[in-house]
Amino acid sequence: MCAFTEFWKHSKKIVCVGRNYAEHVKELGNDLPKKPIFFLKPTTAYIRSGEKIVTPPECEDLQHEIELGIVIKKVGKNIAESEAMDFVEGYALALDMTARDEQRAAKEARVPWTLAKMFDTSCPVGDFIPKEKVIDPHNLDIWLSVNGDMKQDSNTRHFIFRIPRLLSHVSKYITLEPGDLVLTGSPAGVSRVLPGDILKGGLKQNGEDLTSIEFIVS
Amino acid sequence: MSLSGFSKVGRKIVAVGRNYADHAKELGNALPSKPLLFMKPTSSYITAGQSIEIPLGCSELHHEIELGAIINNECKAISEAQAMNFVGGYCLALDMTARDFQDEAKKKGHPWAMAKMFDTSLPVSDVIPLEKIPDPANVQLWCKVNEEMRQNGCTADMIFSLPYLISYISHYFTLQKGDLILTGTPAGVGPVKAGDVITGGIPDVIDISFNVTQRS
Repeated sequence: MCAFTEFWKHSKKIVCVGRNYAEHVKELGNDLPKKPIFFLKPTTAYIRSGEKIVTPPECEDLQHEIELGIVIKKVGKNIAESEAMDFVEGYALALDMTARDEQRAAKEARVPWTLAKMFDTSCPVGDFIPKEKVIDPHNLDIWLSVNGDMKQDSNTRHFIFRIPRLLSHVSKYITLEPGDLVLTGSPAGVSRVLPGDILKGGLKQNGEDLTSIEFIVS
Repeated sequence: MSLSGFSKVGRKIVAVGRNYADHAKELGNALPSKPLLFMKPTSSYITAGQSIEIPLGCSELHHEIELGAIINNECKAISEAQAMNFVGGYCLALDMTARDFQDEAKKKGHPWAMAKMFDTSLPVSDVIPLEKIPDPANVQLWCKVNEEMRQNGCTADMIFSLPYLISYISHYFTLQKGDLILTGTPAGVGPVKAGDVITGGIPDVIDISFNVTQRS
């Protein structure tokens, strides 16, 4: 039985969608995707409030990426888009911390993004948000500031691929399990963070705060 | 400490690519100066009696026979000298790979998720007790498809040793009890199709056999 309020203890994996906001795709000089691009983070990437983000070995360009996460409710394989929202238990706000220098090197060398995306503390997560609290996950303001400076500030209506398409696509290849987290991509405004930086992020619904997170880079 | 349920207890699998020089060459890849790591999720595990499913749209599924080492205790940033203290057992595994997806990912600089992480991409044997593999650097591995020998190598040819790999990996990722380290595959990888039977073994230690089907 999965206690969703502590989904990070029960997740088997974190599935991350890349390039899901057009402005972010452009800022990194990438091509718009024809189908969702995804990668995984292991559960050792999770950290919670009070824990610190740690720059991985040799990384000299650690970057934040604020993302809406979907907490999976039940086992899903070959999920039909029309039924996808039945597989959603709730949401969480998360950071897809990225070693950008390692990612660039990996892309050039045509090797996996493992060291860029999967390191310990690369997935800070906020509290579980029950599904019924969210009126429309495709209309949430999402923002991130570093030391009080707003860096990322967008809305999930700018998704290239919407949630049902993402869950359907991923589950054709990889079965989703209760407590798994699916991250839905990050808007433009990613930037480097340094030790001592304070990252704050939030989701707003119709102008009201829905959730917030705060993490320090150590 | 029994690790017989490692595929249910572990939270991740960390795999190494291009760890046998002849395999790197056969795919036209450069020899790595540091371990090339990727991961598989636990949803990729299958055990005896279950079938490998060719993922949707894949037209070139390859077998890759590998020695796996099972972690017996949580560890992080450990030295090579300490590494083998954290191995509780071994297994024989197939790192099933959608080679066409992988080629496309490499061309575009994309993640290897679809190539390596799909359901059923990790058939494994039961746990092999430590005493059956006194020296992980001297293990013969073979793989046949429909009784025809395809891969026949020895872990002595690994570029990076198991202790080195565990130490290296543990500096980036905390390893937990039940996690699996896959140590790479020798030359001879090749395609399989629905209806094929893949067998593999470590002589006098363990055998595996898995059928290949199409995912529907």
